[in-house]
Amino acid sequence: MEELKYITIFGFFHSLTYLVFSLGFSLVFGVARLPNLSYGALYVFTGYVTYTLLSQMGLDVILAIAASILLTAAISLLIGEFAIKPAIKFPVSVFITTMAVAYIFEEYFRIQMGLRPVTLPLYPGTTVLIDVPVSNHWFLVGIISSIMILALLLFLFKTNTGRAVRAVAENWEESMRLGINPLRVLRTTFIISGVYAALTGILLTPLKALTPSGGWTPLFTAFAVVVMGGIGNVLGTVAASFIYGFTEQLIIYTLGGGIARVVPLILIVLVLIIRPHGLFGRGE
Amino acid sequence: MVEVSKLVFAKPSKVSKVRKILPFLTVVSIYLTLPAIGLRGFWIDVLTRVNIFLLITLSLDLYSGTTFYLNLGVPFTVGVSAYTLALLNRYLGVPVEYSILPSAITSTIFSFTIFIPSLRVRGAYFSILSLLLPIILAGLVTSQPFSLYLGGEGGISYFPLFFSYARALPAGERVFFLQASHFYLSAAVAIVAYIICYKIAYSDFGFMMRSIGQDELLAEATGINTFRVKLIGFIASSFLSALAGALYAAMRPPITADIFVPANTLVPPLTAVILGGMGTIVGPAIANYLTLIIYEILWGVLGSWRIILYMCLLIVLVLLRPQGLIYYLYLKMKQVFSVRIFKHLGGV
Repeated sequence: MEELKYITIFGFFHSLTYLVFSLGFSLVFGVARLPNLSYGALYVFTGYVTYTLLSQMGLDVILAIAASILLTAAISLLIGEFAIKPAIKFPVSVFITTMAVAYIFEEYFRIQMGLRPVTLPLYPGTTVLIDVPVSNHWFLVGIISSIMILALLLFLFKTNTGRAVRAVAENWEESMRLGINPLRVLRTTFIISGVYAALTGILLTPLKALTPSGGWTPLFTAFAVVVMGGIGNVLGTVAASFIYGFTEQLIIYTLGGGIARVVPLILIVLVLIIRPHGLFGRGE
Repeated sequence: MVEVSKLVFAKPSKVSKVRKILPFLTVVSIYLTLPAIGLRGFWIDVLTRVNIFLLITLSLDLYSGTTFYLNLGVPFTVGVSAYTLALLNRYLGVPVEYSILPSAITSTIFSFTIFIPSLRVRGAYFSILSLLLPIILAGLVTSQPFSLYLGGEGGISYFPLFFSYARALPAGERVFFLQASHFYLSAAVAIVAYIICYKIAYSDFGFMMRSIGQDELLAEATGINTFRVKLIGFIASSFLSALAGALYAAMRPPITADIFVPANTLVPPLTAVILGGMGTIVGPAIANYLTLIIYEILWGVLGSWRIILYMCLLIVLVLLRPQGLIYYLYLKMKQVFSVRIFKHLGGV
């Protein structure tokens, strides 16, 4: 019973962070129908930039966070323009270009920062929630994540640009006939996905130490969640990230932390084999 | 079935056949004499590794280069076969010499069973699934209950290939014997694999695979059983990479989870395939040797920056020349040579 409390609380918080991170990935994946393998590198990039601005240049916290979010969004736009957009005609190459970008970032940080893990300062204090001590940072993460998720859902379902994004994700050709410019929509999604990756990076780096190759695990989580929920299906992504988060915490508290990294991925492979279009996705 | 090429082209004479393979024979024989004429130490090891990587490059080119189903799961096949070899040695005491082929076959069966479902689905799913699998295995090998049996972070160590023969030699010659025997074995396997791959890629079967890469629906409409072609192509290609994994493991103990990391076992062959020209076999084979040897030379000049340089090169190449560079240069060179040199030898 003691474990059940931990699983519920941390499963909830983890699911929220997975959701925020996956939504950014899901946007580009849904619109371009191509995975951005350098999305994990953006997460690492934000962490290192914030660390440099805060600890080495001594900037103000808010200023440093704002600067690193802007920078990551710009980098995301650049990656999108130069590595994803030209590759749309030849889908095989997007795997190669974005993977190469990810390795460029990884090697650059390995040379510049070394292999020693880096962390950002935690939000201070702990609160006891139904007999479970929870760091206040988790509450900050939860609040900001919820705001981000709601903002994205409002954007997608209530604004014209958001409707255009969903239209392009549904059918690229048909949306062109409706007068939407898919490439312009794609540019919007690059920027949004950069912002979401940056925010997750800033929120999660204090809790999990950052290493140059640390971007792959979040990337695969996002991958797993998006594929499970069905590509381009936002509500499916929401459901899938909660399933993933709770399953992962359940396994951590029952079978141990080492195997927990692997079991969710095995679930994804099973989902892909049994229902190739995702649990909530529609076939093409 | 009658081969299309036999119907369309006139049968070449024996002389022109020999002349056609003469450059290949020359290059191969010069390459094979390198250890005999004084290549020692570090570089012989590098060449052995490049020989083994040629198998992975060919496997990637044979399947992904022709059908455009990008198989990012090469590290899975390589790693499973390497670990099978290591585990056979550790738990059953099988000498490394006898377990190369069995572990390659085991790994082929493994990857083919796992990838069958995803071969039916079109699009990016195959690549996604293939990318996830090596990561899962790397996690399994280093995580708690399995790491006790699979060696964990430290890996599994055993005696390398031909060690029992080397032990009988005087102490001064042992290292060179091991290096040279590994070099010759890997070179022999690489040459045989290259010839077989070339034959497959330019046979009718190879053209069926290419037709899938161009337009799968159209290929199906013209009467090609695309699933069968994909399956056979996939088995052939994964056997090659499984063989590479088994050879690599046999020659380079200890074997660790590093073999599952795409940066080690996927990125160099992928670079070679893209640089060489997808589906051409000749181009990737040349590019494999060029890129990996230059990569070792660059270590002294650039250090770790060489990876960044290679990745930038890869991006620029994929975007500007997706059809490859080396194959184009190879054709140009062949043209120049056949006009300028063979003309003096009696014309075509």
